[in-house]
Amino acid sequence: MKKLSTTFVLAIAFIFSAFCADPAFENAMKKELAAMNQIQTAEESQAVINGFLRISEAKTEEWLPLYYAAYVQINTAFRFEGNKDQLFDQAMELVNKAEKIAPNNSEITALKGYAMMGKLSVDPMNRGQEMSPLAMQTFGKAIALDKENPRATMLMAQMELGMAQFFGSGPEKACGLARNAIALYSTEEGKVDENYLLPTWGKNQAEQVADKCK
Amino acid sequence: MKNRGILLAYFFLSQTLAFGQTFLSGKVLDEKGKPLPGVNVLIKGSFDGTSSDASGGFKFETNESGERILAFSMMGFKTQEISVILSNSTLAIDPIQLYEEFNELNTVTISAGAMEASDEKKSVILRPLDIVTTPSAMGDIVGAFQTLPGTSTVGNDGRLFVRGGDASEVGIYIDGMRVGNAYGTTAANVPTRTRFNPNLFKGTFFSTGGYSAEYGQALSSALALNTKDLAIRSQGDLSIMSVGGGYAQTLANGKRSISISGNVFDLKPYQGLVKQSFDWERAPHGLDLEIAAQAKLNKGGLLKVLARTETGGMKIWQPQPGLDGRGILVDLTNSYSYAQTNWRKAYDNGWSLFSGVSVSHNKDQYNLDGVDLERRNNLTHLKFNTIKDFGERLSMKTGVEYFIHSYSERVIEEELDRTFGENEAYLFTEWDWYLSRKFVLRGGLRAGHSQLAGEQWLDPRTSLAYKISDYGTLALAAGRFHQLPVDNFRVLNQKLKNTESKHLILNYLFQKEGRTFRAETFYKSYEDLIRFEGYPQAPQNLRNEGSGFAKGFDVFVRDQKSIKNTDFWVTYSFVDSERSYNHYETQVQPDFAPRHNFSVVAKHFIVPLKSQLGASYSINDGYTYTDPNRPGELNAKTSAFQNLSLSWSYLPKPNLIIHAAVTNVLGTENIFGYSYARTPNEQGQFESLPLGQSAPRFLFVGVFLTLSKDKNANQLNNL
Repeated sequence: MKKLSTTFVLAIAFIFSAFCADPAFENAMKKELAAMNQIQTAEESQAVINGFLRISEAKTEEWLPLYYAAYVQINTAFRFEGNKDQLFDQAMELVNKAEKIAPNNSEITALKGYAMMGKLSVDPMNRGQEMSPLAMQTFGKAIALDKENPRATMLMAQMELGMAQFFGSGPEKACGLARNAIALYSTEEGKVDENYLLPTWGKNQAEQVADKCK
Repeated sequence: MKNRGILLAYFFLSQTLAFGQTFLSGKVLDEKGKPLPGVNVLIKGSFDGTSSDASGGFKFETNESGERILAFSMMGFKTQEISVILSNSTLAIDPIQLYEEFNELNTVTISAGAMEASDEKKSVILRPLDIVTTPSAMGDIVGAFQTLPGTSTVGNDGRLFVRGGDASEVGIYIDGMRVGNAYGTTAANVPTRTRFNPNLFKGTFFSTGGYSAEYGQALSSALALNTKDLAIRSQGDLSIMSVGGGYAQTLANGKRSISISGNVFDLKPYQGLVKQSFDWERAPHGLDLEIAAQAKLNKGGLLKVLARTETGGMKIWQPQPGLDGRGILVDLTNSYSYAQTNWRKAYDNGWSLFSGVSVSHNKDQYNLDGVDLERRNNLTHLKFNTIKDFGERLSMKTGVEYFIHSYSERVIEEELDRTFGENEAYLFTEWDWYLSRKFVLRGGLRAGHSQLAGEQWLDPRTSLAYKISDYGTLALAAGRFHQLPVDNFRVLNQKLKNTESKHLILNYLFQKEGRTFRAETFYKSYEDLIRFEGYPQAPQNLRNEGSGFAKGFDVFVRDQKSIKNTDFWVTYSFVDSERSYNHYETQVQPDFAPRHNFSVVAKHFIVPLKSQLGASYSINDGYTYTDPNRPGELNAKTSAFQNLSLSWSYLPKPNLIIHAAVTNVLGTENIFGYSYARTPNEQGQFESLPLGQSAPRFLFVGVFLTLSKDKNANQLNNL
């Protein structure tokens, strides 16, 4: 009986390690994701980006570490002082690397559009003409790849809001998209548990856009 | 007990890695020996590592053991790798230095003579959008370049004049392929425009001297226009203007795109409303059809096709000095076609290939006071070149070109004609050598052969640039340039040889976040210019005998930052030029080269009005002309030319633009010279008529509507 239970425990242990293909990878990702949510300074941000890049160096077949490195880099460029053009360019480089590993991925495509939005924001007067349709098209593609991806819809809503503000038209269309995105975020929340590594960010941003119509 | 032992063994095994930890520490420095924070330090093949802190220091622990690779990486820097032996203890690493990679932001670019308009590159002077929103340009590419340093506005000509050179000295290229007859054919004293619409291009490269060995047959300047890549969406663009209208349809599927556009323009209704100073029998009018297609090829590479065909004409009475009446009737019909295709591909091993073919065909039919004349010009250009990067410090561009050129002039009724045919071959090579990120040397050679002139020649070109501060660059360029004489001279004397010019240019460029300061000084020599006897309309005894020089400096300041939503640039160019050319017997200041040239362009965006207001002002010190009532040649000068233009662009909806512009708001009576009677009147005086403007002002109004699924698309580039 005892023997049986030991075998059982061992079997569970084995199955568990087989199930999460690489617990070391998962643990490393969780550690960086936790750190990502605590970023206060540009230095901390760089440390987290480096953390994700180290994981990506060790697990060259995974797109997620590159995705998060790029995501943190975009946020750094938006949040902190620095050479924004260069930071967004570097983020775009990371996105492109992730895209090579996982082509036609809705999350990566949405992030690519987010990096374009960043480039656009540096010089909207001169770049808006060329880049805003490009960003819109990229978000459109991300939505087409996965209609359930709340970030693709949320970013599209942000873009619509920016255009509406530039042209002085109403934010209704942006709000509608943002509300759709919020619904998608709720669905997504149902799937999330402590081992969930896929992107979950962006709900606050969707709510901010939706608030414009209150 | 036994079972417990197995369990223990399992956990023990899974924990073994916890034993034998190594503590690593060290410091990362940049190439100047200063601490480099944020460097990723990692043991390859593991998740272990850390980032360097503010003082460049790092420390971390690892469970890995044995001989491993420790890597130091940071974006924009070359990764360094060292081998370490991890042996359960502490390991202090000697300081590591990281070197920045060469990239566009930190590496010097050659700025002498060059002005780029592009959205992609750093060293730009103008962006593509700036061209269409410069009020005095009225949507003409060359019109916008006339506000840049080194150029002169010659208001009754319209073409680009660079640093004491005449308009034929500017070579115009589309995607590296030469464009024959790039300007519309026009009558004397009626300004022309570039045939090509600015919305075709994503960027331009304009050089006022010392340019690359890639370009030849241009003594003064190269203007290289680069067409857009793949269009990203399907759309229709409708334009309705005070001078005509057009429609363009673009179809795009991500891999291929094509736009087809048709335009009609006619100044007749406008001239019916606004009184003209010129005596028009038929206002200028025209029709054009254009196709631009782009395709991404399956194996990488981009294929482009551009084709344009147009027809137009005008009839104008040109008064003659000393004669009463309306003067001579000039009836002009032009038909023009240009087609080109080019292919380029960059390979992973550092090689890029380019090949292209272009064909220009121009036919002018004149009726000059009852005599029918016809002029035809055909130019075919074949080009192949290759670029190779040998690491980051050395790159090479080498190419071969071939031109087939024919020209003819006919007097229809008398069946008189004269023609020439010409084949030219060129080889060029150019090498860029980066001694450091701050210092670049460029050397180039261009070899040419003309069958008709029976001449071979070699043009060496060189330039260097040194980054003297974070934002400032000093550059020097020198070179020799050859150009065969203009067609209407060559057809009279087919043995005419090349004309020649040598350039020496010193440039300083300062660029920092929305502010640009550029100063350039130059010396240019001219040799073997064409001289003749008689009148320019009927030259005799044409020969390569003229010479001259141009020297001067220009200053350019642009500021997009100091005043919110405002962008302005100020240009001053000084040119001291004299040459013996055409029928002039001595060295004279040419009539197309004013000494002092000043211009300001300002644009202000008013957000609540959804409008951009633009203003441009140009002034120069006047044009020389010959007054035969006084001794000497080009012995007189007109009063100063000036032009204040204003524009207003209004975007009521994202897909709708309303644009209005007016030139010469002040109504200045600009005179570009005088035409004199060939024989004196009874009092012994040569009578004259001023060469003025076609109207005091020109007013333009246009509505541009874009139809697409994306309601935010618009046509800003069409203005």
